[in-house]
Amino acid sequence: MHKWASDTFYASLAYVVASFLTFEVLMPLQNVFFPEYPSRASLLFLPHGVRVLAAWLLGWRSIYALLPGVFIVFAFLGGSDVFLPSRLMAIAIAVTTVPAVFYLLKWVGWDLFPRTDRKPCWSCIMGVGVITSFLVAGLTNLVFGSARVEYVAYLIGDISGLFFLMLGLYFAFRFADSRT
Amino acid sequence: MTEISKLTELRKLMQSMERTLGLEQLSPVERDIYYAAEELSKADQEVRTFGLIEHTLVQSVSRPTFFRALKSLVQKGYLSQSGSANRGRYIVHAPR
Repeated sequence: MHKWASDTFYASLAYVVASFLTFEVLMPLQNVFFPEYPSRASLLFLPHGVRVLAAWLLGWRSIYALLPGVFIVFAFLGGSDVFLPSRLMAIAIAVTTVPAVFYLLKWVGWDLFPRTDRKPCWSCIMGVGVITSFLVAGLTNLVFGSARVEYVAYLIGDISGLFFLMLGLYFAFRFADSRT
Repeated sequence: MTEISKLTELRKLMQSMERTLGLEQLSPVERDIYYAAEELSKADQEVRTFGLIEHTLVQSVSRPTFFRALKSLVQKGYLSQSGSANRGRYIVHAPR
């Protein structure tokens, strides 16, 4: 029970922090540097990286682990609209797509989940991030009925978000190591 | 999976990225020995040379290469020889 609670706490916290950085820091910068960019979507969407890494580490457990964080972010952005069917559907898509793809790949014989007796494949995780980005962007746009420019922006944001989140984690580990 | 092992898996993933992006400070063999030592040190604080040689990640490495890489890891501070025990026992340190 304690393990489930700590998984949920850390995964949701990571999702909320990544979303805060995306919407309160990166998007204002994006608006300054690309004022002519028409879409309201972020070109560096860090929460996608959290979704991918949480699903890789936790498997199906990432669904409930991320759910509170995703709900908080949707509620923060949309207020009471979070209870609209389209928003609830988008929340479900956000938390289920990535673990579903990892398990689908495992089912077809390409098991990417972490194991102590082998090295993880970074580029494979990025590959899953790209596949799931297509799926999440496609499904979410289906639900919201957004324009094509939004779809492309979601893709760019998700893929760059995953890459820069991993790069950020890498330098965070190096920084932590240098201080111990 | 425990919290510690989740962090270890994340670190291994970052090290895999480090290698792809050319940011690494260790050779592939040194990296494999370090991974193996990290795994083995979870069960025991000290790591034995014999245990390292037998590890899945290191089995294909020749003895001379293994010992050269082990010496290099000690020089770089990733491993240190255990002072209290016999030779052939190492303590694993975080990368610097």
